[in-house]
Amino acid sequence: MRRSPIAAALLLVVWVWGGHRAWAQSIDDLNLEVHGYAAQGFIYTTNNNWNTMESTDGSAAWTEAVINISARPMPRLRVGVQGRYLLLGYLANTITLDWAQADYKRNEWFGFRAGKVKTPIGLLNESQDIDPAQLWVLLPQSLYALANRNSTLAHFGGVVYGTVPLGEMFGELQYRAYGGQRVLSSDDAVFQTVRDKGIALPNGATGPMFGGSLLWQTPLRGLMVGASEDSEHTSGAATLGALSGSLKATHFYQPYLYGIYERNKLMVGGEYTRQALQKTTAFVAGPTIFIPKDQRAWYMMASYKLSQKATAGIYYSDSLDRQLPVGSARYQKDWALSARYDLNTFLYLKAEQHWIDGTELGYSTSDNTSLKPNTRMTTFKVGVSF
Amino acid sequence: MKTNGETFVKMRLSIVLLALACAAPCRPAHSQVLVIANPSVGATDVSKAELRDVFTGASSSLKGAAQVTPVLLKGGTVNNDFLDLYVGKSDSAFRASWRGILFSGQGMLPKTLDSDAAVVEYVAHTPGAIGYIGKASPHEGVKTLMVR
Repeated sequence: MRRSPIAAALLLVVWVWGGHRAWAQSIDDLNLEVHGYAAQGFIYTTNNNWNTMESTDGSAAWTEAVINISARPMPRLRVGVQGRYLLLGYLANTITLDWAQADYKRNEWFGFRAGKVKTPIGLLNESQDIDPAQLWVLLPQSLYALANRNSTLAHFGGVVYGTVPLGEMFGELQYRAYGGQRVLSSDDAVFQTVRDKGIALPNGATGPMFGGSLLWQTPLRGLMVGASEDSEHTSGAATLGALSGSLKATHFYQPYLYGIYERNKLMVGGEYTRQALQKTTAFVAGPTIFIPKDQRAWYMMASYKLSQKATAGIYYSDSLDRQLPVGSARYQKDWALSARYDLNTFLYLKAEQHWIDGTELGYSTSDNTSLKPNTRMTTFKVGVSF
Repeated sequence: MKTNGETFVKMRLSIVLLALACAAPCRPAHSQVLVIANPSVGATDVSKAELRDVFTGASSSLKGAAQVTPVLLKGGTVNNDFLDLYVGKSDSAFRASWRGILFSGQGMLPKTLDSDAAVVEYVAHTPGAIGYIGKASPHEGVKTLMVR
């Protein structure tokens, strides 16, 4: 069930690639390129263990390596595939397919890509797992929680996109519309909270999804504002000990509002979203468990380029789930100070300090017997890309 | 007869003018960077906004040109001046944003070449190619684009 869409996506790439090889006289004509990156993280927290890492003792169980193969067999056609190895505490030690797609851009107004594709929602969703592209060690966890990212990163299906000029007075409008199938594997980190309740999802969860984004590049140079809406309806088989049943999430619509201003050395950005849904796990001759959620999340961030190689930044990230009982587990407020230094074109270092109040995101009961209401987190990362 | 106040004001003005004169060479000069394109590119001039869009991957065409392909210099003063003047980013921020495009499947990295001569050679032989070099570099076989 899980492998068939991956196989279909790979077949699509091979078919498109192979089909156009007839025009290609050599590997040069394909414009084949191989790129990749690897990043190693280190985390120390003063109180709670974070994302199943033994971070209160200091942990380096956070490694990512990505390989990307892309080609442009025709001027308007790109094909590519990207795979990833991720080690993250006990949550992940896997190789996965990031995306595998064919992309045809007719002109500035219209293009489309199909296969396993990145889902174009929010300000940073498509690049949230690309460490070399970010200043931050951790993006604001209220919207881009590390363990949850597979639930929004990519889908099987397609995206149409384009840019519509509005004239010099009004800037330009970029649009993205997408649809397809969300596929989450049984061992995905997003299910950790469900696993903490003793529930397993042997086949993961799948379901239809669609949505779109509008991004307005305003006439004020460097200012972009946007809005997205994502709609999903996932479900899957579930087990609780000897009991079998199913997990179903209500069909939900999730809006995102965001803006970013980038000019010279300064960047200021912010984003808001709300996710309201209810997960129902029903077992034959057993209990029915309801997990309601009404999360409001937002962040504000700013960064400044100190020199050609050094950048510093700060953000505040805030999340509140109104369906959770009153207490520190229903919210998370996170102040972060960050710095990045590019040693050269390939190698970079990052350091980040967090002051976290609340325990809503990023903690598992499997390695935290009793969560403290707040913690400080110090993180470092070294990365190389080519 | 000049008063002490007038002398002081003139002295301050001189210091400010001297400081401005010293600061001016620190800013990259437009004239040091030449934007070049393959002769097949239809445009004869290009706006700063168009250059920024093409070199940041936001657009793949210029007015009067069907499709253009940017080519980059690996580093150096000319590269830094071009990015500073027309893209508004440092080299590391510029390359980080391209990595975001590449690894999210939204595009491929522009070709990066070691020298002005290599850029001229590539642009001359690649239909739709657009690049930048130092003004003093020879550039036979390519057209120069005036930046509006």
